[in-house]
Amino acid sequence: MNPVIRVAAEEWRYWRRSRLGLAASLVIVSVLLASALATWRQVAIERNQRAELQTTAENIFYDQPARHPHRMVHYGHYVFRTPPPLALIDPGVDEYTGAAVFLEGHRQNSATFSPAYSGPHGGSFVSLSPATVYQVLVPLMLIALGFSALARERERGSDLLLLAAPMSARGLWLGKTLALAAAAALVLLPLLAAVLSATGFALDGIALVLGYGLYLLGWVCLTTSVSARSRSSSNALAVLLSVWLAVCVVLPRIAASGAEVLLPVPSKIEADLAVAKAMRELGDGHNAADPAFEQLRANLLVQHGVDRVEDLPVNIRGVVAEAAEAEQKQVMDGFSEAYAQQEQAQAEAVRWSSFLSPLLAIRGFSTSLAGTDLAHRHRFLVEAEQARYQFVQDLNRIHASDLTYTDDIRRSSDAGAEQRTRVSPDNWRSLAKFRLTPDSLADRLSRGMPFFLLLAVFLALATGLGITARPAGVR
Amino acid sequence: MSQQQVLEAQSLTVQRGGRPVLHDVSFAVGEGEVFALLGGNGAGKSTTLLTFLGLIEPHQGRAMAFGQDVQGNEDAIRRKAAYLPETASLYAHLNAWENVSYFLELARSPRPRDELSQAFDEVGLPADARDRRLESYSKGMRQKVAIALALLRSVPLLLLDEPTSGLDPVAIDEFNALITALAERGSTVMMVTHDVYGACQVARRVGLLRRGELVGTFEAPPEGMIDADELHRAFARSHAS
Ligand SMILES: Nc1ncnc2c1ncn2[C@@H]1O[C@H](COP(=O)(O)OP(=O)(O)OP(=O)(O)O)[C@@H](O)[C@H]1O
Ligand SMILES: [Mg+2]
Repeated sequence: MNPVIRVAAEEWRYWRRSRLGLAASLVIVSVLLASALATWRQVAIERNQRAELQTTAENIFYDQPARHPHRMVHYGHYVFRTPPPLALIDPGVDEYTGAAVFLEGHRQNSATFSPAYSGPHGGSFVSLSPATVYQVLVPLMLIALGFSALARERERGSDLLLLAAPMSARGLWLGKTLALAAAAALVLLPLLAAVLSATGFALDGIALVLGYGLYLLGWVCLTTSVSARSRSSSNALAVLLSVWLAVCVVLPRIAASGAEVLLPVPSKIEADLAVAKAMRELGDGHNAADPAFEQLRANLLVQHGVDRVEDLPVNIRGVVAEAAEAEQKQVMDGFSEAYAQQEQAQAEAVRWSSFLSPLLAIRGFSTSLAGTDLAHRHRFLVEAEQARYQFVQDLNRIHASDLTYTDDIRRSSDAGAEQRTRVSPDNWRSLAKFRLTPDSLADRLSRGMPFFLLLAVFLALATGLGITARPAGVR
Repeated sequence: MSQQQVLEAQSLTVQRGGRPVLHDVSFAVGEGEVFALLGGNGAGKSTTLLTFLGLIEPHQGRAMAFGQDVQGNEDAIRRKAAYLPETASLYAHLNAWENVSYFLELARSPRPRDELSQAFDEVGLPADARDRRLESYSKGMRQKVAIALALLRSVPLLLLDEPTSGLDPVAIDEFNALITALAERGSTVMMVTHDVYGACQVARRVGLLRRGELVGTFEAPPEGMIDADELHRAFARSHAS
């Protein structure tokens, strides 16, 4: 047997005999099981729930009897975002943000200023998703298993016997690294199985597993490298735990808090107040006589060569409602775009911190590939807003063309007019059903690529640290 | 340098931890010779062995083995040398078979079980102990496994650091007989020891090391042995001065 492989096999025997392997596998298996169960349940529930809710919401909306079009504008309609298949592994920002948006007239609802989204902290220890387990807990397990790999030999003097065997210091490091890498590969198998069951043999799923492989291999090499360079096992453990704490706990917090301080995003209340204030300065689209629409009214009268709004071939109320909605959209878009930009800037700042913390790099890679990153969420909001606007304006145009102004103003006092101002449900049944198309594979891969490269740098540095380690305690 | 010199220290000067440990040490060990290095604690005996294995780099001078400079030829020399470390550093979680097999496999010279068994017989490791993990061994039993490993390497050079430490008198006698037999078959042995009388029994030549300097060499007369009492006096004198 090749000596490097022999060293690796011997390390496995040591783990078996010292019960280190048993302890580590018990811990990791139970954590993986717990996370798998929790995620599987949650995703199954959510998937069914969202599909069901979407259908129910659509049925209720489309089954409304003949109604006044502006009632339907206020009646509103829910759209849902079905989690992408890989959200099973990494729910990303989905954990914090609403997956449903209520579409109605005059408002961009909560998903825009999501009360649940708590800034760039995304994914610390909030839940035990498989992503969190692989990003935070598996490295800890690898440290527990590997911290003594080479330091132990040095401590007990067996390193001299190994070197004299002869076994090169590099070969010894490689063998120990191989042993730990094999353990990491074993732990990756459940992830591979989960990904295959979620996406089949698809490139995104395979790339995701590769990314995690690279990340864990980085930890493997770091662990054995520190072990090779430490005087004693306890030194190695202390150094590795400090690095883990910095990389997995402290740096992500600092990055998130730093981003919040340097690039503050207004709170929901602040944002809502600002929008409400700006909206009050616009005219009331429900009141065709509002002075704000004086010009519109005058133009319309001139255009159709009539003196009174009653004589217009279109319903002035519908026209005003459409114009008001357009004005409101402009104001609201201004706010939501600025907000999205601020969130994006925060995310960007955190992304740059990935240089310091491989955890942030794998998190960026993982959410990019799973389609659960901020970019994906913003696209959902943008597309939902487009759908909202189109739905409201379609109804406003129906309001303008299919209803007469005379009937419209006498609706509450005249039963006949009330009947005539109802339009058939066909008018909103024909509204396109909203479906968010998932991000294309190319998009997700290109967003994930920079993170992948960072992970490769992490691995290269950790490897360099190992192969340049001087042999043994002989100085 | 002559062709039959297996080991040669040429004005060897070594520092460890920034302090001088060996100073201008020169000696040579010929093929089939048993050479013992005698000296007090901290004299630099183990350091000398480690230097010949290429595990420590000399500051000045050269350590030569098989006519080659050790530096730059570490791997080739380690393949031809068996090393017995000062502290029995075999694995406590493995039994005797497993320990010896592992290191032999790393040396790419695996041995069949009956050869292992024979080596254990030679060093006097009780048969009923061989399947037990070394954590249950006494110091001397561990030393016997380490010696067996060195023998099993079947290489032309043995570098032994205090091989008899922990061995009972009977085992020491058996060990000395073993070394003598090996040398007669052409193996070269360099051993480090505190044991003046043991050294005289096996070694044809004894070097006396004192604080990093070789202060004397004693050679056995033809067909005779080094006078242990004389050596002991020299050792005591060198210590006193
Ligand atoms: N790892 C080390 N780092 C620094 N100095 C060392 C190291 N190991 C040994 N020394 C020093 O080198 C000198 C020689 O040590 P060495 O182990 O060669 O002595 P020795 O003759 O084998 O002694 P002993 O009989 O006690 O085994 C000592 O002064 C010791 O303090
Ligand atoms: Mg010594």
